[in-house]
Amino acid sequence: MEKNVLLDVKDLTVRFHTQEGVVYAVNGVTYKLHEGETLGVVGESGSGKSVHALSMMGLIPRPPGKIEKGEVFFEGRDLLKLTDDQMRLVRGKEIAMIFQDPMTSLNPVLTIGTQITEALRLHLGMNNSQSRKRAAELLDLVGIPDAHKRLDDYPHQFSGGMRQRVMIAMGLSCNPKLLIADEPTTALDVTIQAQIIELVKQLKDEFNMAMIWITHDLGVVAGLADTIQVMYAGRIVERGPTREVFTDTRNAYTWGLLNSLPRLDKSGGRQRLVQIEGSPPDMRIPPTGDPFAVRNPFATDRCREEIPPLLPVPEGHPEHFSANWYDLRSVVKQANAEAKGS
Amino acid sequence: MEKSKSAATAQSGSDVILSVRNLKKHFPITSGFIIQRQVGAVRAVDDVSFDVIRGETLGLVGESGCGKSTTGRAILQLHKPTAGNVLFEGKELTTMAPPDMRRMRRQMQIIFQDPFASLNPRMTVGSIISEPLQIHNIYPNKTERQDFVESLLQRVGLNPYFINRYPHEFSGGQRQRIGIARALALSPSFIVCDEPISALDVSIQAQVVNLLEDLQQELGLTYLFIAHDLSMVRHICDRVAVMYLGKIVELGRTDEVYDNPLHPYTQALLSAVPVPDPTVEEKRQRIIIRGDLPSPANPPLGCNFNTRCPVEFELCHHAPDPELIEVTPGHWAACHRVTQY
Repeated sequence: MEKNVLLDVKDLTVRFHTQEGVVYAVNGVTYKLHEGETLGVVGESGSGKSVHALSMMGLIPRPPGKIEKGEVFFEGRDLLKLTDDQMRLVRGKEIAMIFQDPMTSLNPVLTIGTQITEALRLHLGMNNSQSRKRAAELLDLVGIPDAHKRLDDYPHQFSGGMRQRVMIAMGLSCNPKLLIADEPTTALDVTIQAQIIELVKQLKDEFNMAMIWITHDLGVVAGLADTIQVMYAGRIVERGPTREVFTDTRNAYTWGLLNSLPRLDKSGGRQRLVQIEGSPPDMRIPPTGDPFAVRNPFATDRCREEIPPLLPVPEGHPEHFSANWYDLRSVVKQANAEAKGS
Repeated sequence: MEKSKSAATAQSGSDVILSVRNLKKHFPITSGFIIQRQVGAVRAVDDVSFDVIRGETLGLVGESGCGKSTTGRAILQLHKPTAGNVLFEGKELTTMAPPDMRRMRRQMQIIFQDPFASLNPRMTVGSIISEPLQIHNIYPNKTERQDFVESLLQRVGLNPYFINRYPHEFSGGQRQRIGIARALALSPSFIVCDEPISALDVSIQAQVVNLLEDLQQELGLTYLFIAHDLSMVRHICDRVAVMYLGKIVELGRTDEVYDNPLHPYTQALLSAVPVPDPTVEEKRQRIIIRGDLPSPANPPLGCNFNTRCPVEFELCHHAPDPELIEVTPGHWAACHRVTQY
């Protein structure tokens, strides 16, 4: 029953050597992704969620970026050791990526048709008429009406949601085994976001792909991901099956995020939101201990001194991991009792 | 003449601070080089009427391009309205002479979305916040003014020690606090919050929202809260108005609108918002609306929403755009389906 491991990331560490100092962007990220699995990577800006994915794909500018250490095995091959030419054969074919901003990730001076068929000709060796036919099928698949005619249109003739559909069509063109979606709906309106999520869910089953969905919105991944991975300051702080992370939260950062979100389906009754104090750390001067300790009301002395490793949670789901020195269940219980007592 | 029957007016007896009546803002589309002529208009705001009650937070929600920000700016006369009336504290703003309008601005301020673009990078925090004080000649004495600015900084949760720093030295959340301090400097009674938290990280949003709520309670402020984050709007707003293509399609008490949305657009909009709870997400039925927002330069015939509406029928295509009608006390909707039965 155990599915095959598709992507095995080991101790990925990425730094940016800038004029203002070294930015510790990704610090020892380790995880496995199985075939057909959807992984939701959640974090705020600067948490390293996008940079870690871009690094795996060899898409960070080097310099200033540098992959200090780590291995990324994709079907047994270490992506970080591939040459640029070898990597080019993986990108778009085996692993495809869609980005946040469909305005800037399409070339404005080439038609949509040219851009979709490029990958088909390059990776699958199709000729012109074959690739055009396939491109039209793909546009049809992602719900663009009049697909054949629209192949000759330019990106500016499409709306934001339609452009993101084009990006998805391009991503799917070579039947990739893994699709990395980097905040693909953040720039879109909520009704269009719902359209895109629905489309991706349906296509994922059809194409039997694994997916990494990077977002800052816990709501989006709640209904989409099998596994959730929360990142903070370049580290994974909690990881587990979606339901476990939401219902049996073990990390104070995840817990704080979930509590600070107002709910659409519940009347607020004008209750104050529980806020996380302070702001994310400057990753040029990473704190010595747990980076979240300064903002964490439950932090212990050990948190401030020593970075906690990502370990299986006690008495929890075997696939559920969290990085903290405290047991969130008991400290929350204690805090609630104190609040009642006073 | 009484078109304001569809004005979503407050119940009589409530203390209205702002009345907007049949407000329109059309941006001209011109054609031609040197000699330009108008060939059309973007109907950004098209006949919008509502009241804001003193001390409340009225939410204005909708997707990008629906005219919510333009409405906020037209109220403050930052965009000259094409037609309609804006009454603030009983005074008509659209025809007010510029010197009077300037005095009026003391009472009505705005907080902008982008904390990076809305603060002058060449001015210190102190001079940004004290500029409105100088313009309106409040605290002519320099030390008094400085003391007041420091107290404002403290009030919004910033260290008064930062007074001589420049905006680039602050994070997004701190910059938004500076923007709030600037808006508070003249002790306004009404603030337009134009997407004040959209540009902020999730963990910072709650901080800013809590601050806005605290300030409202302490200072008795009235907010027009423009946003597209519907979960946050439910939390912060007493009443909410939903806009689509330049018009208000539904207005009512927040819980009423969220629990019992009448307009099919509101229903679709609410069902599209993801909820951070896998158990709820599993059970939810999404209403996926087709297509994209039509261009406000060329709105569809009949009801504005008929091109995407899941329940449109014949009437929606040829009858004029439905009017905003009070369906249950205080709950207004503009839909032929709702008002037919």
